[in-house]
Amino acid sequence: MPQSALTRHFNNDWIGPALVSIIAIAVISFLRPSFLTPFNIFVLLSAIAVNMLVALGQLVIIGIGQMNLALGSIGGLVAISFAAMMELWGFPSLLAVVCGLAIGTLAGMASGFVIARTGISAFIITLAGLQIFKGINLGITKAQPFYGVPQTVRDFGNTSMLGPIPWLIFPTLIISLAVWYLFARLRIGRQILAIGGNRNAAELSGINVTSTVIWAHGISGLLAAAAGMMLVARLQLGHPTIGEDWLISSFAAPVIGGAVLAGGQVSIPGTFFGVVIIAIITQALVVFAIDPFVVQIVLGGLILWAVGLNRLREVRVAKALGTAK
Amino acid sequence: MTTGPALHVSHVSKSFPGVRALDDVSMSLAAGSIHALLGENGAGKSTLIKIITGLHQPDHGDVLVNGKSMIFSNPRQSAAAGIGVVHQERNLVPRFSVGENIMLERLGSHALSQINYDAINAEAAKWLKLLDLDVDPRSPVSQLSVAQMQLVEIGKALSLQSRVLLLDEPTASLTLNETRVLFRVLRKLASDGVAISFVSHKLEEVFEICDTVTVLRDGKNACDSQPLKGLDRSDVVQMMIGRAERITKRAPRPKTESQPYLELKNYSSALGHGDISFALRPGEILGLYGLVGAGRSELAKGILGMVKQTGGEVRIVGKTVSINSAADALHTHSIGYVSEDRKQEGLILLHSVLGNAGITVWRKLARSFGFLRDQKIIDHTEPVLRKLEVKTPSLHQTMGNLSGGNQQKVSVAKWIAAGVKLLIIDEPSVGIDIKTKAYLHDLIHELASSGTAILIITSDMPEMVDVADRIIVMADFKIKGEVENDRNYERVSRTIMGLIHDRVAA
Repeated sequence: MPQSALTRHFNNDWIGPALVSIIAIAVISFLRPSFLTPFNIFVLLSAIAVNMLVALGQLVIIGIGQMNLALGSIGGLVAISFAAMMELWGFPSLLAVVCGLAIGTLAGMASGFVIARTGISAFIITLAGLQIFKGINLGITKAQPFYGVPQTVRDFGNTSMLGPIPWLIFPTLIISLAVWYLFARLRIGRQILAIGGNRNAAELSGINVTSTVIWAHGISGLLAAAAGMMLVARLQLGHPTIGEDWLISSFAAPVIGGAVLAGGQVSIPGTFFGVVIIAIITQALVVFAIDPFVVQIVLGGLILWAVGLNRLREVRVAKALGTAK
Repeated sequence: MTTGPALHVSHVSKSFPGVRALDDVSMSLAAGSIHALLGENGAGKSTLIKIITGLHQPDHGDVLVNGKSMIFSNPRQSAAAGIGVVHQERNLVPRFSVGENIMLERLGSHALSQINYDAINAEAAKWLKLLDLDVDPRSPVSQLSVAQMQLVEIGKALSLQSRVLLLDEPTASLTLNETRVLFRVLRKLASDGVAISFVSHKLEEVFEICDTVTVLRDGKNACDSQPLKGLDRSDVVQMMIGRAERITKRAPRPKTESQPYLELKNYSSALGHGDISFALRPGEILGLYGLVGAGRSELAKGILGMVKQTGGEVRIVGKTVSINSAADALHTHSIGYVSEDRKQEGLILLHSVLGNAGITVWRKLARSFGFLRDQKIIDHTEPVLRKLEVKTPSLHQTMGNLSGGNQQKVSVAKWIAAGVKLLIIDEPSVGIDIKTKAYLHDLIHELASSGTAILIITSDMPEMVDVADRIIVMADFKIKGEVENDRNYERVSRTIMGLIHDRVAA
């Protein structure tokens, strides 16, 4: 079937979300010129920086055809550990970052190990993980925040690198490129997508499913850890509730960005615009001074929209592949 | 009631893209008769059943119920006309009770009706009694034996006022005793005037219970509703396999006497394989023939280490090994497996041709830290894809958009690219056209000539006789015997059928 260059571009995963983002920005800034003040852009980008890592953490697991409900609780555990290591033990911040990343990775790998070994669905295992990691978090903090966050960390989370661009964007940019590279150029990334695309075929083709699942959850934990520590920097404290509200947007952004929930297909640029759309909507509700409960409703609606998109995509794929059910 | 046939299939034809599944096929089921429907895999039996049950519509011809021409556009209409079917696979809800399963479509008149369990159980009990099935309609189906579930399904079909009952391989998973019980019930139903059609691969059962027979071969009638009396087993086998006109002439292949690449010694598995021994040499093509459910694909998975081995030995080049995963089989022992189920197990249809063809070489080509370059994968896979004449606009085309034949070529290509020393090919020509099939057969011969050991599994007798050097016959997860393939189709197929059907022979 001949395709014009135009339709081919519109079939791209990220063009749609990108257009929606641009139109939303244009409309909102037309109605409220204050939307595009440097300060507001700074706030928007800071939120995007953290949420992008959260979304990528879920994206890796969506790619393998599973879900990670423990993402937020791993992020939260690392966040308070990060703050505690600096406040209680006086760790230099860089060392604390490395330890935090290690904790996140190990927590993820632990879930991955149990999932791969028992064959129980990731939904159940990560649901249990969510409770366990949250329990450890509350055991350490007694539900009280750690306030002793060093000045350098606070500055990193709250100063700009260039004009309205926060420093927080910097690690997100690097990590996003790394995740893109992982899926495009690394064996482990291909294996994750192969398992998500057709687990049986991947296994019969000689891919080690067990180790790939452990890897994927480890990477997911690492990304959650990075997001958790960036939130500590931004909030300037290690709050025990960090990560509690990640779940919905972590699924919404990748799905808006073209990922198939059944696995095997993900898009990093698409996910980025998914994150941007969610950030703009949340921010717009603030700018227009809309009641916070509406935010909840809008987020819920967003999920329906994203899942509806996903269903459409699955139907289209099934039709194209002649496997329609 | 009319005196004519209860169900009459009259000159029905049905084509699917690229294949004529049924060509002018007829069959008549008389009330009170048990009618055998026979044919090899792919002969058109299931298509015929699907037409009778309204899953497919015929291109030409009629389905007549009690002399009235009917067109069924879905299974509900067929059921309403009094045609009940028990499919080969079970269609019960395990956690529901026996009664609920029997009455599943009639639990209440509307969505909010309160379910009257007493009435349901009473109605279900009536049918259970008719079938001499002594179970409580309130007990969950999951507690029943396979044979009892089978009878529950028959009860369910009958409870829809069926006067025609189609049974697709009802004895495939039954023991001898359970089969006897089933047969007693079938005879009773027949004497009550139900017309029964019985599909089975087990000829001795057919001769035991059936009175008429229809044989299909290559989508045509080899015989149309003949009385079984006066026919013997060899007549029926003759009708099923036909003549050897489809066999192409091939030069005899030289015998190899080198050390076996793969050797199984008294192998047994957790799935029930027992006492399996054979050897496969480099450059040899060994066929594994058997009917569906004989345990062939499962044996392949066992060799790949995906089924637990419970006894015996697996040897690679003379050394006893323990293979624990498909990854191990490929990377340590250089064994590849082309699955019979391309869509579920063979390919990732969502991904590109390159992503599928290269999947086996990622591990080999990845450098430190797992860096992988597309160009390197292309260098490894493109020559193979070109050699196999895979027709695709580009290497980045989505796999699912390719034709079945080209998909199959890619499933084979990925193992050639990986340079495996032993290739197991399960049903190489499922869903591909004749030209590609011939091409694949040539390719298999060429691969063997270059020293690859090949284990081929197929239910397609002409294919088996065309491709294999030696043929091992399997039934019930055991080896029934071995046939040296001299490419005399008549002789080889008779010997194989003999090995499968004769309980005592061989």
